[in-house]
Formats: sequence, C-alpha cells, structure tokens
Amino acid sequence: MSTEIMNVTVKQAPKKKTPMLKTMKKYWMFYIMMLPAIVILLVNNYIPMFGIVIAFKNINYVDGILGSPWSKFENFKYLFMTKDALIITRNTLLYNSSFIVLNLVFPLMFALMLNEIKNRFLAKLHQTVMFLPYFLSMVVISYLAYAFLSDTNGFINNSLLPMLDIEAIKWYFTKDFWPYILSLVNTWKNMGYYTVIYMAAIIGIDEEYYEAATIDGASKFKQIFTITIPLLTPIITIMTLLQVGRIFNADFGLFFQVPRESGVLFPVTNVIDTYVYRTFLTVGDIGLSSAAGLVQSVVGFSLVFLSNWIVRKIDSDNALF
Amino acid sequence: MRKSKKNASLLVTMILAISLIVTACGGNNKPAPSNTPGNNTDPTPTPTAEAPADTELEAVKLVVVYPGSPQKDEKLIEEELNKLLTDKINATIDLTPVDWGAWDDTINLMIASREEVDVLFTAQWNGHASNVGKGAFNELNDLIAQYGKGITDSQDPAFLEGAKIKGKNYGVPTTKELAGAGGIVYNKEVADELGIDMTKVTTIQDLDAVYAVVKEKRPDLIPLYISSTDNTFNAHFFGNYDFLGDATIPGAIFKDGTDTKVGPIEETARFLDTVKTTRDFFNKGYINADSATSKVASADAWKAGLVFSSIESLKPGKDEEVASAAGLSGKLGQIQLTNKTIATSETAGSMLGIPTASKNKERAMMFINLLHTDKDINNLINFGIKDTHYTLNGEIMTKTDRTGDYSPGHAWMFGNQFLNYLWDSEDPEKWAKFQEFNEGAVKSPALGFVFDSEPVKSEVGALANVIKQYQVAIDRGAVDVDTVLPEYVAALKAAGLDAVIAEKQKQFDEFLASK
Amino acid sequence: MNAEIEKINTESNPKNRLPKLATFGIHSMFTVYSFLCVIPIILVIMVSITDESTIVRDGYSFWPSVFSFDAYEFLFKDATSIIKAYTVSIIVTVVGTCLSMIIIALYAYPISRKDFPHAKFFTFFVFFTMLFNGGLVPWYLVYVQMLDLKNTMAALIMPLLVAAFFVLITRTFFQTTIPAAILESANIDGAGEMRIFFKIVLPLSLPVLATVALFQTLAYWNDWFLSLVFITKEGNISIQYLMYKTMLNIQYLSTNSTAASAITAAGGTFKFPSESVRMAMVIIGIGPIIFAYPFFQKYFVKGLTVGAVKG
Repeated sequence: MSTEIMNVTVKQAPKKKTPMLKTMKKYWMFYIMMLPAIVILLVNNYIPMFGIVIAFKNINYVDGILGSPWSKFENFKYLFMTKDALIITRNTLLYNSSFIVLNLVFPLMFALMLNEIKNRFLAKLHQTVMFLPYFLSMVVISYLAYAFLSDTNGFINNSLLPMLDIEAIKWYFTKDFWPYILSLVNTWKNMGYYTVIYMAAIIGIDEEYYEAATIDGASKFKQIFTITIPLLTPIITIMTLLQVGRIFNADFGLFFQVPRESGVLFPVTNVIDTYVYRTFLTVGDIGLSSAAGLVQSVVGFSLVFLSNWIVRKIDSDNALF
Repeated sequence: MRKSKKNASLLVTMILAISLIVTACGGNNKPAPSNTPGNNTDPTPTPTAEAPADTELEAVKLVVVYPGSPQKDEKLIEEELNKLLTDKINATIDLTPVDWGAWDDTINLMIASREEVDVLFTAQWNGHASNVGKGAFNELNDLIAQYGKGITDSQDPAFLEGAKIKGKNYGVPTTKELAGAGGIVYNKEVADELGIDMTKVTTIQDLDAVYAVVKEKRPDLIPLYISSTDNTFNAHFFGNYDFLGDATIPGAIFKDGTDTKVGPIEETARFLDTVKTTRDFFNKGYINADSATSKVASADAWKAGLVFSSIESLKPGKDEEVASAAGLSGKLGQIQLTNKTIATSETAGSMLGIPTASKNKERAMMFINLLHTDKDINNLINFGIKDTHYTLNGEIMTKTDRTGDYSPGHAWMFGNQFLNYLWDSEDPEKWAKFQEFNEGAVKSPALGFVFDSEPVKSEVGALANVIKQYQVAIDRGAVDVDTVLPEYVAALKAAGLDAVIAEKQKQFDEFLASK
Repeated sequence: MNAEIEKINTESNPKNRLPKLATFGIHSMFTVYSFLCVIPIILVIMVSITDESTIVRDGYSFWPSVFSFDAYEFLFKDATSIIKAYTVSIIVTVVGTCLSMIIIALYAYPISRKDFPHAKFFTFFVFFTMLFNGGLVPWYLVYVQMLDLKNTMAALIMPLLVAAFFVLITRTFFQTTIPAAILESANIDGAGEMRIFFKIVLPLSLPVLATVALFQTLAYWNDWFLSLVFITKEGNISIQYLMYKTMLNIQYLSTNSTAASAITAAGGTFKFPSESVRMAMVIIGIGPIIFAYPFFQKYFVKGLTVGAVKG
C-alpha cells in the first residue's frame, strides 16, 4: 500500500504480524470457548473420516483398513450399473425435495397460528400433543399404518370405505397412493419438531414491530407477510440449506419399515438407502455401503455449496458460510 | 503488561489444546495390526488330544460369542462351567450372547476391531464365506486333528466335508440332523374330524383336494398359512434347490439331481409348476390374502388357532415342536412331500469358528471338542444346572419353576446335539429317529462347495434388490404368474443374472474337477 | 392532529386480534390435528392391554374384545433391568443435555459474530461433519481402540454432544436476535467476551437454548444405537435399547428370511413377545419423555433485557 504525499510515494511498512496471528490474539477468548466442541468434533467426526478410504478398497481383516488393497471404483459400480439407479435416485430426490417444502410450509403455518392462540394453556396442550408422533419409532408407525391399511383387518378397508360405499383397496399392492402416504407420515411425524424451531424464532421478534404495524392499520395477514416472514428469513434459509445438504440421504425407517417391504411398491418406495441396505444384507461388504455413503455426501455437499453460493449472492448475511 | 499476559494465556491455551489432541491421538494403534495367516503353526508344545494335566496349560479365559438374548442366570452357568473347564482344560469361560437384532452389526464391528474373541458362532447363511474371505476365521483342519478327535469320532464326516471352503474348514459344524426335507405340518385333529386321509397326499397338487374340504367345512381356519417371512413351496429345502452357498444369490442345481449345470430356478419346470399351483391355491382362497405383507409368523398364527397347515422344513418330531410352541401338543402331524437330501445348507447351517484375533486357538478347539464329547458341559451350557433349572429322570428333563431363568434355546449351536437330554414333552426316541432320518438321504452333487461372490459382487447387489421386489409376492401366489414372472426374469437378466450364473458355473466346475 | 390520531386508532385493531371467524377456524383445526396425533398413542396403549390371540385374529382395535394386562406383567417381572435402564437413560440424558447446551452455545457464539474473521471457517468446520463421515467401523474403532470407552457411559454421551444442526441453528439465532448495538455498548464499557456471553447473550437467548435443550433431551432419550454398539454388559444399557431390542430381534428375522428359515431348520425356535408386549415396550420406552416439552416450554419466552436497547 502506498500513499501519495506531495507526489512522493511513500510505501507503508508491511504489517509485522500476519493477520491470522493478530486475529487469534484479539479473539483468543473465542478459541477457548470453541475448544471443547472442536476437540469433540475432531475425535468423533474428523478422525474417523479416514474411513472414507474404505470405499476405494477391498477390505480384509488380516491387513486391516489401512493395509487392505485398493480397488479404485469397483465398489461404486453396483450403484450405477443397475437399471434401478435412475429410479432410486429419482425417488430419493423427489421425496426429499417435497419434504423440504412440506417441512417448511406446514410447521411455519402452525407456528404462526399457535402464536395467535391467546389461551396459553390450549396452546401448550396442542404443542405437547403435536410432539407425540415424534416419539414413535418407524417400526411402530409401520405397525400402526398396517392397522389402517391392511387388506383384511385395516380400519380403512373395514370401516371407512364401506361407509363411503367404495370398494376395498389393496393398499400394499397399489403404488399410486404411496408417495402421498409416505409424505403424510413424514410430515405428521416431524411436525412437532419443526414447529418448535419456528415458534422459538417467532418469539424472538420484537413486539414493537407489530405494535407499529397495528397503529398503521395493517391486518394480521399483512403483518405476517411484511414482518414475520421477512424476519424469519435467516432461519428459514438455514433450515432449507441444511436439508438440501442431506437431499441424497433418505429417512431409512420411513421407506423401509412403513411399506413393509412390499415388492410391488418398490418403484415408488425404493430409495438409495434402502437399495444399499438390501445389497449389504446379501453381499456384506462394507466397501459397498461406504461407497454409497460417499456418493451421497459428495452430491449433498455440491448441492449445498451451490445453494449457498446462490444465497450469498442474494443476501450474504443469510448464507451458511 | 496486559498484552504479555494475554500472550501468555494464548500460548498456554494453544499448548493445552495441542497436547489434548496429541494424547488423544497418541493411543492410536493401527486399527488392524497385521496378523499373518500363518498363525496356525504355533511354537508352544502341542499335546495330544487327551486333556493334559493342569501343570502344562496356563489358565486362560475363553470368550464365547453367540446370538441369543441374555439369560438371567447366565452368571451361575458360567460359574459351574468354570469349575468343569478348569478341571479339564484349565480354562474359564465368558459367555457373551448378542441379541439377534444386534448380531450382524456387532460381529462386523467385533471382527473389524480385532476384538479378542475365542469362539464365534458362524453359519453359511450368515456370511461365513465372506468373513473367511476377509481373513476373519482361523483354518481349523490342523487344530481339529490335534485337539478335536472327539469331533471327528462322533460326527458324520459329511458335516465337515460339506462345510469346507476351498478345501479347508473354518468352522466346526454342530452335529444334528443331517438331512433336510420339505413338507407340511397340519392339524391332525381337524383332519380326522373332517375325514381326510392325509396318507394319500404325496405331492403339492394332492393338497388341493384336502384344502378344498377344509375351506368348505371349516371356514374359520386358513388352510395354508404363509406370512411374508414364512417358508413357501419354493424354499430351498422344498424345491431341493442347492444354491451353492448363499440362497439369496441366484443360480442353483437340484440337490436331488445329478445335473451339475447351474441355472436360475425361475427357468426350471419345477419352479414353474410350483408357482402355478401356489397361485391356484391363492386364488381359491387356501392361502391367507395378506400373505405377502403379513408379519405375523406362522407360530403366532398357530397359537391363535387360525391355521390348518403350514409349510415347514421337516425332521423327526417337527410337528410336536410346532405343536408345543403353539399350545396344541399332540394335535399336529406332519407329511413329507419331498425326498430327503443333504446339502451344504444343512451341514454348514450352524458352526463354531475360531477368529484369527483369538489368542487361545488351541484351548478354544479343546473347548469345542468338549462340547462334542462331554455330556455334562454340553447340557450345562444348553439347559442350565441340574436340579435348579430342570430335574433329570434318566435322560429326560422336567421343567422347574426356574427353567425360565436360563432357557437360551441354542442347543443347535453347541457341539453334539445327540448328547442333549430331552424334555419330557419331546419324543424319547428323538435321537434314534434322527439317526434313521439321516440314512438314505441323497447327497447333493454340490456338497462341500461354497460360491465366492466377490468377483460379481456388484451384480449380486443389484440382483438382491430385484429379488426382494418380486420374490415374496410370486412365491405366495399373490400376483399373476403369466404376467409377473416374465417381468421378474427380465429384471433379473437386466441386473446381471447371466454374469453371476456364469461365474458360479465356473467356480463349481473347478470344484468338481478338483474332487 | 389529535383528531387524526384518534381516527386511526379506532379504525385499527388496537389489541391486534384476529377476527372471530379466523380464531374459530384455527382452534378447530388444531383440535382436529391434536386428535390425529393422540389417536395413534391411544391405539398403542390399547393394543398393549389387548389379549394376544385377539390381536392375531382381529388386528388392532380401539376397544379390544378381550382385555389383558399380561404384557405389562410379563415386562415387569424383570423390573430390576427396567429400573437400571431408566437410571442409565436419565443420567445420560441429563448430563448429556447440560454439557451439550453449554458446548454448543460456546461454539455458536463466536461464529455468530460478524467481526470474527474466522467465523466462516469454523462454521464450515462444523457443517462439514453433517455431510461427510467415514462410516461405522472407523468411528467405532476410534471409540473402542483409541479412547477405550467401550461399556462406559461416556460412550453414550460423547457422540451426541456436538449436534452440528443445532450449532448452526443457534448461530443463526444469535445473529438475528442479539442486536449489534448491545454488543457494541458492552464492548465500549470494557466487558470481556466471556462476560458479554454470560451476562448478555445467554439471557437474551432463552428460546433457542430451550429449543436445543429440548431436542438434545429427546436425542439422548431416544437413542438406542449407542447402547447397541458400545455396551455389552447388561447393566449399562439405556431403556430405549432395552425396549427396542426385541423389536430389532423381530426385525432381523422378518427381514432376513434366509436367516429365519435356516435357524428354524437348524432347530432354533423363537419365543417372541406378542404384539401386545411390543406395544407395551413402546409405552415404557416413551415413559417420562412425554413431559419433556411441557417442562421446557416455559423457557420459550422472550429474552429479558431486549427492551434495554431502546432505553
């Protein structure tokens, strides 16, 4: 850097300390605060990452993980060689994308509405109850779904449809309903979870904004769209970005347990994770599941990077990194 | 002053952080110390199979891992076993059952982390071949020769023959019934009541007439109950398909045939007939409508009194086994509908292996030997302590009120079943009948061969998914055969069926040539 | 001037209330939805007190034809295991949640500060772990061989301590709810970072801290996998695993039909608890955690000193 003083350029002496060290000195307290988490992340997440090499190796236990021979891309073949590859990828992406939207729209709506309920006791009650589905494991949910959808004994075929004078449907043999069934189950199960996050965000919004808007005569509706949602943009962005990162990873329990492995439904219920699992059951080679995991991570990561870049262009404050 | 203090604290912090990380990493052994396979040749003096005097052997602890639920009185059994084992081979034992639901994960991790396990349950249907391929188990032939004479003396050589992988043994099979046969277990009481003569039934088709009567006269019973996980007429023991290893990898020969050509069962006449008959039964309402999705196992359905018959793999006393589990003791009978065969699936269906990570291979083999020869130890580990968990009358056991505290039900995993005592509810002639059953069985041409799926593992993976998609419904007659079966076969071919069959044939031919 | 203001006031909605119809709509919708959430739990409870054979014959029903408390009797015969497992779960959950909250908040604050140049790096550092992992085996090896934590409670606590998802959510909350003005004025007053954190940031962040605490409580309570992998001695497993074990066993045999038929062919028999017992296990596993939300929700209130900025 140089400054011109009276037509004489005087070079300023370069900073003696590197910016990094200076930062560390200034913010040393921050490093101490972050230390416990850093150590745990290193141990729990980063050190085990050496295991990513398993995807490229033909593991045998005599040589161990580090000593086993390399197999380059052999372990990745089964993912692409099959005509199912397209189907499972399509299923995974479509379901996850719609889940991202569903996990935003409904919980947000609920959070907004819950905020309006003046009877605090009722509001608390509703919120507690909304959480109940979250406690049930997918296995139990599959049992419950079966109680509804079973051919012979299910509620729907036994009680509901006869009332509406419709013929019984073989639910577990008809593909077309399942995208809706699975989306319904997913939303229902996660509603409580996401609603709480958005509720906590709404609470953090300053009352004064609403008071000012009320004085200006804005309707509830308008307030929501001009105050609440814009102020929730950071949290909505983060939630979406985080889910985009996992877009290639499906909720295993949902797609494996709930359809009860009915083969007829595979074209709409087979996702990457269930495909990998079924392979692993037969072949038992951890290299295969490791390869699949790596593909999922890389794709998810690229998508997040891309989305984050887009978000950064729009409003860099909201970007993840 | 303040600045240097800050500097000092910064320095200290960084040193602290770094040292923390270093100590954490410091204990980092290589995840798998290289363990050369040549461990069989051990320099310690190798005594003869006779249990040597205590002074020659140092005390060791044997860790025995097997699937099953932990039992309440396990510690007591361990104590008793320790007394006997210290006496005979100067060893103590640590029984480590692992729940079935956790089994695969747990042993994968156990093997990968080279945990010191001395005796580990293994089976051909549970990845034995692939674990051997990965160097998880010790080669046992020498150990058996030195310390396992009791095994070879008491066991039909077909067992060890049939459990070989590339000519060597890596697991000691349990001595039990050798042959397998398929048939149905049916409600004899009901059959008599309806005047059905079951002796006329010799093939699947003959069942049609029987089921018709049952369906008409006893509409409250399901003539043939099959859940989504139960056996069907196409189970390997029923169709006598020898899959040359893992039954989930397509490509089989007939156990009761002589043809050594490997092919997909879906293209055989036997399969087609069976599937058509099953579909016919399904359409006629003989098979429960929710067959393809029901998770209620036949055992539970029997208990609830819903069932007339179910498909089972037969051995002497199977009907009573099913009956007593269902509370229908004495009311059930069985009919064999196939011929008896012996194949690798029977011989290698239950074995004990010695992991390469074990430090006490010889002692482990001695222990396994005892399970095959020592009646006390065998029954102790299987049924518990005499007069506590059961009372003994000759060779017959009666339950006590503490039987429930130790009833692992794993006699089929440990040693020689012919040494087991029998419960008073079982046929006292059970073992004699077993011996009889084993005679006259046809040996599969593939006995002793196990397919190594490594060269075609990608195709196998893709095939596994296709099979899961179609097999359950087709085998239960839940879908139309003429439209779905061709679709199934086409999907299999698209997933690489031909490559897998070719590889299986190649390896099989090599095996046959080397015999 | 005054008259104008008056006019505006009477036209607007001083208490900012919803029109009556909308309120009614909202209430009825929530009632229906709550109903839909409670029904399955009720069904589970009802099945757990239904007689076994009735279930096999007739399937599930809200009012069973034959009642039976056999399932609970059966489970409570082994009451000591249940109590031990509850103890383990409670300790792990409480310790884990408390530690986790502190550690997460301590990490999230620095990366929420715009003036901290390394914020982006450390955000990425934690985010990366959400996407990439080395697999089960290496992770297991680290805990068992490197740290020697097999069969310890530490193994049940440590893996869940730094939940990357919550670190990032907390960071976002800090960014949006803590006004920069407050931090600046504190800085000018000479307060150190730790002080600012404890005296200003935390009190203002009750909602997000309560959220993280709630979710971590649930994460710890619901976990069964860590017990499966790390605990081989019966006494130290969590209640969730104790109850879920049976489900897993049943799962194994129903997914793995080769195994199932091979086991029965070899002579093994399965004595599985009936469906009523399985449902009873679900209820026992859920247990006290239903009250987690009511417990935490009193912290879902605004930060206490937000008004200080205006003053």
